[in-house]
Formats: sequence, C-alpha cells, structure tokens
Amino acid sequence: MILLALISIWLISLNPIDREYALAKINSVIVNGAVSGPLYALLALGFTLIYGVTGVVNMTHGTLYMLGAYMFFAFGPLGFFQLEILPAIVLAAIFVGIVGSIIYALTIHPIIEDELAVLVVTVGVALILQQLIIIGFDIAFKATYLAIPTITLAGLPLNVTFMGVKLASSSLLVCGVSVVLFTVVMIFISKAKIGRAMRAVAQDREAAMLMGINTTRLYMLTMAISASLAATAGIFIATSTTGTAEPSMWLRPLVISFAIVILGGLGSLKGTIVGAFIVGYAENAVIILTPAGSTLAGAVALAIMVLVLLIRPRGIFGKRIEME
Amino acid sequence: MHLLEIENLTKSFGGLTAIKNVSLHIDEGEIVGIIGPNGAGKTTFFHLISGFLKPDSGTIKFRGEDITGLEPFKIVNKGIARTFQVVRPFRHLPTIANVMVALNSPRGSKKIEWLKTPERKALEMLEDVGLSEMMLEPAENLAHGDLKRLEIARALATEPDLLLLDEPFGGLSPIETEYLTKSIQRMHMDGHTLVIVEHKLHALMKLAKRVIVLHYGEKIAEGTPEEMAKNEKVIEVYMGKAK
Amino acid sequence: MATTYPRRIYTSFITNIVDIPSRLVALLCFLLLLLFPVTRPGTLLLYVLTYTNIIAIFAASWDLLVGRVGQISLGHALFFGIGAYTTALLYKFYALPLWATIPLAILSGASVAVLVGFPSLRVKGPYLALVSMAFPLILTGLIFYFREWTGGENGIWGLPRFFPIGFFTQMGFPYSEALYLQKIAEYYLTLLLLLASGILLYKIANSKIGITFISILDDEQASKSCGINTTKYKLMAFAITACFASLAGAVYAHIITSIGPASTLSVTLSFLPVIMTMFGGIGTIYGPIAATFIIQTLDLYILRKVVDVPLEWHPLIFIIIVVIIIIKWPRGIAKFVTDKFEDLQEARELEERGKHIWKREKKKSSISKG
Repeated sequence: MILLALISIWLISLNPIDREYALAKINSVIVNGAVSGPLYALLALGFTLIYGVTGVVNMTHGTLYMLGAYMFFAFGPLGFFQLEILPAIVLAAIFVGIVGSIIYALTIHPIIEDELAVLVVTVGVALILQQLIIIGFDIAFKATYLAIPTITLAGLPLNVTFMGVKLASSSLLVCGVSVVLFTVVMIFISKAKIGRAMRAVAQDREAAMLMGINTTRLYMLTMAISASLAATAGIFIATSTTGTAEPSMWLRPLVISFAIVILGGLGSLKGTIVGAFIVGYAENAVIILTPAGSTLAGAVALAIMVLVLLIRPRGIFGKRIEME
Repeated sequence: MHLLEIENLTKSFGGLTAIKNVSLHIDEGEIVGIIGPNGAGKTTFFHLISGFLKPDSGTIKFRGEDITGLEPFKIVNKGIARTFQVVRPFRHLPTIANVMVALNSPRGSKKIEWLKTPERKALEMLEDVGLSEMMLEPAENLAHGDLKRLEIARALATEPDLLLLDEPFGGLSPIETEYLTKSIQRMHMDGHTLVIVEHKLHALMKLAKRVIVLHYGEKIAEGTPEEMAKNEKVIEVYMGKAK
Repeated sequence: MATTYPRRIYTSFITNIVDIPSRLVALLCFLLLLLFPVTRPGTLLLYVLTYTNIIAIFAASWDLLVGRVGQISLGHALFFGIGAYTTALLYKFYALPLWATIPLAILSGASVAVLVGFPSLRVKGPYLALVSMAFPLILTGLIFYFREWTGGENGIWGLPRFFPIGFFTQMGFPYSEALYLQKIAEYYLTLLLLLASGILLYKIANSKIGITFISILDDEQASKSCGINTTKYKLMAFAITACFASLAGAVYAHIITSIGPASTLSVTLSFLPVIMTMFGGIGTIYGPIAATFIIQTLDLYILRKVVDVPLEWHPLIFIIIVVIIIIKWPRGIAKFVTDKFEDLQEARELEERGKHIWKREKKKSSISKG
C-alpha cells in the first residue's frame, strides 16, 4: 500500500514526458510480470509436486527443463523428425517424462530414505544429464546452441499490444497454455483418484501406505508428471525469451524453481503460484527499471532465495518447519 | 538464596500444555527427586531448565541470575549439567574423547589442573565411574549400562554445581543400580546438588530427601519419599482412580 | 588395573598398525612423489600432477568441513574462486607481489567463510545444500556484473608465476631447460604445500578442536549440553577450511596464470571433493588426498592411453561412477564415515598418548607399592 502511494506521488511529481516514460515502464513491468508468472508457475509446479509427494529435492529439475527444450528442437521442424509444433511439444514432454521416471527409478528410489545422498546424487545426475545432452546433440546436429521454433497459432498476429505494451503473441499463447495446464494439474490433484492419492502421500506417507497406496508406482508417476511439466516449461520459456536452447540453460531454471518454492513454501501449491508471480514480477522489475537490468536479472531469483532463507526459511505458506 | 528458583513455568506445544505453572526451588547441597507417571512432563521440565526449550512464561533463576531461555551451552557454562533419558553419546568418538569434549568447554577446561593434559583428566573421570578400561573403545560399542555411566562422567566433566539426571536408573541391572546409587551419593558428598528425574519412586528412596511429584505438567505433591509413597493423590496418579 | 593397560594398548596398537599400514604406505607414496621428477617426466605429466596437488588440498579442506563437522557444502568452489580472484585482482590493480597477494587471498577466503557461515548455520538439510550452492553462483554473477574490473567470462590472464623464467636463465640454463625447470619447481612447490596442508588439516582434525568437531557431527544437541558453543566451532571450521581452499585457488591462479569463473567457480569444481571423498573415504583427510591422485592416474592412463576418450567426457565418467557408488551404498556416505572411523587414526594418536599415561601410571603405582 505504502509502495503504491509512494510511486503515485513520485509519478505526479514528474513532468508529463517523464511521466509517460515512467508509466510505460511500469506498465511493461505489470504486463510482462503477469506473463512470466504462469510460465514460472508451471516450471516450479513440477518441483513442488515431487517434493510434496516424495520429499525429494530434485536437483535434476533444471536439466529436465533443458532436455525438454532440446528434444522439442529434435522433434520439431528443424530437427530429426520434422514434426509439426504441437506434436513436437507433446512428444518432447512425454519423452522427458519417461526419462524422468527412469532417472527416478534408477538413481533416486534406491536411496530415497537418505536425504543427503539424494541431494548429492541428483546434483551428479544433473551434471551427467547435462553433459550427455551436449555430447548427444553435438554428435547429432554438430551444434549445441540451437534455435527453437516459435510457437504460434495460424492466423494470429505477430504482436499484440496490451496496456500499451507490445507482446509477442507467442508469449501470450504459451502463457495461456501454461495457465490451462496448471489448472488441469490442480484439478487432477484434487479430483482424480491418483491425484488424491498424491495428496494423501504428501500429507502422511505412512498412513497412505497403510491404506494400500502403492507409493513406488505413485512416486514414479509423480516424477513423470513433474519431468513433463519441467520439459514443457523449458519449451515455453525458451521460445518466449531467448529463442534458443543452450548448454548452460539448466542452472537458471533450477535457481528460479528453488527461489519460487522456497519463497512460497516447500510443498505448498498456493505458495508456488504466489511465489512464481513474485519472482516473475521482481525479475521483470529489475530488468525494466534498473539501468543494467538484464545482467542483474539472473541474480534476482538467487537473491530472493538467499533472503528468504535468511529471514523466513519456511517461506510464505511453508508447511514443514525444519527442526533439529 | 535458593540455588535454583523456578516460578510459574509454563510450556505448551500446540494444544498440549506440557508444563503448567510449575514453581519450585532447589537449595544447594540437596538431592531432590522429581517423579511422575509417563507424560507428566519431567523431561520437558529438564529441557526448559537446560535451555533446549524456551518456556512460554515463567522464570528460571540460578544463583539469583535469570537464565530463562538462554542457549544450552551458556547454561552449562554457568554450572548446570544434565544427562539424557535416552543416552546420547558421541558414537564415533572413543569413550575418553567423549569426556574430552566436555573438558573442552570453557567451564570444563577450568577443571583441568595445571600441568595435566585433557587426556589425563578425562581418564581420571572415567576411572571415577569405572569406565577406564573402555577408554579407547568407540562409544557406540559400549553396553547400555556403561553408556549411562559415560553420560554422567561427561556431565561431571563440565564441573557443574547443579546436576540434572534424567532417569539415570533406566535399564540398569540391580548391580548397576547399586553402583549408580553409590556414585550419586559420592557426587553429593563432593558438593554437587542433584535433581533426579525418575519413573520409579523406590530408586529415590535412599537418595532423595525431598521429592516433587508432577502429573500432566503440574506439581501435585511435595515431601519426603516416605510421605509421597503414602500420599493418596500420588498413589491415585500412579494407579489410576479407584478401580 | 595398571597391569592391563600395557597389554590393551599394545594389542590395540598392533592391530591398528598391522591392519592398516596406511601411515607406512602414505610415507612411501610421498617419497615416490618426491623423487619421481628425477626420471625427467614429460611436461604434461608434470602439469597434471601439479594440478592434482592443488585439487588434493581443495578436497582435503572440504573433507574437514563435511566429514568432520557435518556441514554439507556443495559450493566449496566459492573459496577456491575467492582465493584465485583475490590474488588476481590484487595483482591487476595494485601489482602486489605473490608473497603478499597469496596470504591476503587466504585471509579474504577466511573472512568470506565467516560471512557465508552465518546464514548457512541457520538452515538445515536440503536448504543448507541449496544455500551452499547459491554462493558461488552469486559470486559468478557479481563477476559478470562488474566485468570491467573482473574481466567477466574471459577472466584475468597474465598472472605472474612463482618462479619467473629469469630465475633459471640467470643461473646459466638454456631457455628450454629453464622452462622445464620452472615446471619442476612448481611441482615441488605444490607438493610441499600439499604436504603442509595435509599435515595441518590432519592435525587439526585430531586435535581437541577436531574432537569437538566430531561431537558436533555426531550429536549437536549433546555437544551443546557439554558446554560447547557449536556455532562458534562451526564458523571456525568454515574459516579453517576456507583458508586451505583459498590457498588452493590462489596457487592455481599463479600456476595456470589465467583464471575465469568457469575454471574457479563451477558446479563441477564444487562436486569434485564429493568424488574424491567417495573414493577415498569421507572424514579421513588423507583419503581424499589419496583418491585425488588415484583418480588422476586413472584419468591419465586409462582414459587417455588405454581407452582414448575425448577430454570433455572425463569428468562425466567420474561423476557417473560416483553416482553409482552412492546409490549402491546408500548409507555409503554415512557408512564410510563409520567404517573409516573404525580405523580412526585418532584412536592411534590417543593410544600414543595412552602409552604416556600408562607410563606415568606405572610409575605412580610402583611408587605407591614400593
């Protein structure tokens, strides 16, 4: 509230030209932040899901995101299979989902009781996977920086203007799809039998097991969904921001996911949504409003994460309080 | 002035009130017993005094100084040591090293006389409780009774004025119980003040001059062990209402 | 009781020596490393071993923090980077000589450690791992942001070597020979630093402070109830470990003469100590040092000579192996701690002192008898 008041006062104090400029910037932040929100939420959703249901902090999340973007290229018009965009997205997501389950079954499930080992192993697997992707695509396409096809619907204008801010319609499109996907997952969790099983396990693992829920299969399914979501987020975010798939693209989504999930509270879906928007807005604000913004952008999520851990480790809606 | 003065101590966890408005005092040189059925809040009580938990309200004063809510290590360095109901040795360290850790603390290191090495002092302390044979054995290899003695040796290594023993007799054989009773009497003669939490009253009969009974976090009775054994309320609490 | 002491100590001592002649082996290995340059090895081998020495220091320092105190750190490269960048920047802007910049690098490493330690101590488990990973990233970000000063991704080059080439040419050696001697000198320097660091770290790990560290690892609450200010000790551990890691970084800077965020602050670098300790045994200090050499040897001979594997694949293969190890032995990390503590060198140290105690006891008892 105070912030709004201060901003309004400052705006009024400016002369009309400066004010226009400032307003344009603010509008830009508002609109771009709103578009980033759902995308980031989609990204963080997988991370929250896997933590909530299995208790695993999955450090491979960023690499799965990366795999999604790369596989989208491979499946898509410029890649091997030269499919249309939509099937390419779907196939990439499914592919990564399967890969995710396999990774889970081979490397996480055997050691799932040991939090520390899981952490270290997932970092290791993330590094391995990243290297494999680079090597694989280097062999296949002789290149590791790949241009990702833009996602558009036939007949849609290239750009859309909203509140005076120009947006690529593809960004708007993927944003919309993200919202839809997120909602679908939410409904799935609350209504579908499997979804409810997930919630049960998230709340009380032992009780769920006693009630006959096959946790192993459930965990693998959760992992598949989480990985697919990560892949989809990878595709969507890559198309709407950089337009490329690059070897180093695994670290940023990991950091952003952490930041969102820690800010919102590990294991809380509400927190994920809120956290995603806060991080999205913060990043956009820094990029648009600060002079050297774009170089700082990467640091925003990091800074948020560190700050939250210092001030209120359990986040906004955090359920688990870390005790001795 | 009382050595330890506790006023209106209260602690709740969510909906459960573990300690409710407990007030009591311990004087220097006493052996006081605290008994009560399981769940009466005895261990919580120790946690509050030793700093592992912060009370919701109430004060704890040691030698007139308010120590409520201080960090555990600070309280130890003021002169209050405790043992744990479920033993907590340093599993990977040899027995002698377990004691040496305590001798490393600011207060404990004062205990090491001039020209003695910490190892020497630790060995002496182990001898006092009869564990010197095991001195190089990793603590995790020790038998239960030995571990209980190690707990005490470790607590003594911090040169406490007040010792809080949490169910020291738990799981001990009759011989070990006998030995421990003698050790406690010796500690008492050495000038330590002791507060012993025990589940069974008879173990305290020989030792404690005064016994406080807790039930559901409240102090319900206080007196000599003999008095408590005959106290109706106490019997009721242990046996349940007239069946 | 006095009569059983000697036998117990003796048998315990014997079983420890006979079962684990590691001290003997360590001595032999060190002699091997010390003398091998006599065979005039190729510069590649020299270079690899010099690098190994540096990484061994790095890995050993990590072991103290994680294996002895129990503070998980997945961002250890932070200190390596601080060491490297401090010495590089001090040279770049103030042209300070080596012997000034390196101690300053160590100092800055220790200071950063304390700074970083405070927030790290407030969080546990996965949060702690995340925080530790965040710090090198933050530093990398800062380096990119202030790229006019730090050189950004390109880093800083042209750093002075420990033994300038003139040092050798002045002695009359021809240029090519001087070049080779320079490499030899650098090798010995790093080897000696490794020896010194290894011994120091080991001594610390087995000192009173080291024992307190283990108590924190085993049961922090119990440690507190022994009057130990665990926060102070944890910060101390951070500072000590950072000193050695920064040293490694600073030395690296002047051996390779150019540094960048990729070589000094990468996630892979942070992961290296994990690999070393899994191979060598966590908490032992000497284990990771030995493992570093073993892995380098494997890397050099098997991955280059026996099966020719492209260079980028090397770290990948080791990470895969380590991941498999961790999975196969899930209690692997913890188990290794237990297993390695079974042959605690520390116990032997105590036995050494135990012998002295026994001698005194014997004297006392013979006096009292006589």
